[in-house]
Amino acid sequence: MYATRGALTVTGMEITHANQMEGHRRPAVDQREPAVETEGLTKRFGDRTAVDDVSLVVPRGVAYGFLGHNGAGKTTLIRVLLGLTRASAGRASVLGLPVPAQRARALARVGAIVEEPSFYPHLTGYENLTIAAAVRGPETRKRIDGVLERVGLDKRSRDRVGTYSLGMRQRLGVARCLLSDPELLILDEPMNGLDPGGMLDVRRMIRALVEDEGRTVFVSSHLLDEVEKTCDVAAIIDGGRVIAQGSIEELVADEAGELLIECDDTDRALALLAGDPTVRELRAEHGALRMNLRARNQAGEINARLVAAGLVVGRLEPARRSLEDRFLEMTTRLEVAA
Amino acid sequence: MTLDATVARQMISADVLRLRKKRGMIALALAAVLVPLVIATGYDVIRHASDPAHYGPAGGLHNFARLLDLLGIFMGPVAAILIGAEAGAGDLAAGVFRDNVLTGRSRTALFLARIPAAVAVTLTVIALAFAIGVASTFAFAGGLATPSLSVLLQAAAWLALANAVVCVVALGLASLTGSRPGTITALIGWELVLSPLIVQAVSLGSLRRGLLDGVLIFLKPGPASGAPVVLMPVAVAVIVIVAWLLAIPALGAWRMRTRDA
Repeated sequence: MYATRGALTVTGMEITHANQMEGHRRPAVDQREPAVETEGLTKRFGDRTAVDDVSLVVPRGVAYGFLGHNGAGKTTLIRVLLGLTRASAGRASVLGLPVPAQRARALARVGAIVEEPSFYPHLTGYENLTIAAAVRGPETRKRIDGVLERVGLDKRSRDRVGTYSLGMRQRLGVARCLLSDPELLILDEPMNGLDPGGMLDVRRMIRALVEDEGRTVFVSSHLLDEVEKTCDVAAIIDGGRVIAQGSIEELVADEAGELLIECDDTDRALALLAGDPTVRELRAEHGALRMNLRARNQAGEINARLVAAGLVVGRLEPARRSLEDRFLEMTTRLEVAA
Repeated sequence: MTLDATVARQMISADVLRLRKKRGMIALALAAVLVPLVIATGYDVIRHASDPAHYGPAGGLHNFARLLDLLGIFMGPVAAILIGAEAGAGDLAAGVFRDNVLTGRSRTALFLARIPAAVAVTLTVIALAFAIGVASTFAFAGGLATPSLSVLLQAAAWLALANAVVCVVALGLASLTGSRPGTITALIGWELVLSPLIVQAVSLGSLRRGLLDGVLIFLKPGPASGAPVVLMPVAVAVIVIVAWLLAIPALGAWRMRTRDA
């Protein structure tokens, strides 16, 4: 994980996390140029800096979460990447093509939803896609039936979009993105307003787009849990700045290591480890010990010490924190520093 | 992303689809041209039937001139404005403009595709009303003279020109302002109230030649109607029409290129 307050460069990012909780397959690392790359990207609106010196690398073939509070600068960065507004400074490339210089060529291989997907409500889903396909090109039209089936809207495609639920409109938005068979999908808050079932549908769809079809999906969201469940890699943006990026596993991992231990005598173990120099923080929690170590790879030493003292260790594992814990910890730290 | 003929044709058909499926607007446009036509003709038919000595037949050349005024100067342009405004700002109103821009297709191409689509839909509505009007001109002519084929063709061409120009101006203004209701209100007010008043203001002299209404009335074929005519050389009329056709849509296209999506 790379945590920084300033410009940030990622080198040799290894995608190690394929969301074990959800049983996702590990995406293969794609050696081509990154799907998205920015360097020192800045966008100002008058005195307000919405995106501040952001350097990102989005590898190919992954679901990439772009995580931040509402108003953190996620949508502004997406708008800059898509050439909807010009950057004040810095550079960006999409699928290896500089934007906005080669915006049209880049966007021909990109499908994007910015904010919420919009459609002509008086037209059916199929007709809306017909209009979108006409703008994309002649080959695109042949894909309409396929993409409608792909997002599970084939049965409702002849209904007016005005009668669709928000979840159906989100799926139709993804279908519109898929019309051009894009290498990269950029989805801005795709889970917004969806019920749990709708979120699950979108999550599964994103995973399938990555795992089954080898696409790159860039998902912005303020829903930490959903990013953790959906994405392989993520960046955290706060106040217009990227404060961390890396695989989800790296992001949630504690730099020094947090351990959870269960043994036959918690009180004795607590007394034994209280003065241990390797332990930074120690507390009893629900009949177990939770501790922060001063350095990684000291779990073995702790175990040996407990066993040597005659304690029976029933469980010793790294305490896994959620992305939400990590996100709150980072953003709180920045607020305190400010 | 290059724009070849196939893509251009597809984009135009797509715009025609979104316009013709806007059923409320199409119904309103049809009502704007058909309701006054049916009421006026029906009234004349009843009047003639009840007192043929005092009231002439509802058809014939005289009523044909009134049909042209209705479809070319008054209510036809209202239909053209409704359709043009929808074509120019409908995507903004629906929020689809951004999605169209995200395809990477040039904004100028997106704008240009709207023009033939809007004109096609407008002329379909006008053609339907004209066909009904011509049928009633012949059906209720009684002993009166009826328009010749040549007059009919000239009238059709003039109606196509008048309504296409108004439609394109409405489209350009809607793209410029981004507002359908604003465009419709402003242009209907201009077409039905201000412009006819200015055309009649003789004191304005040749300045009135710059008015679209004045030019279109000047070019109107067939028998004269009651509308005041501003005389001018045909070349001036052509220049004025071309200026209207270029200036407002150019502003609309510029705004579409520069608008924040």
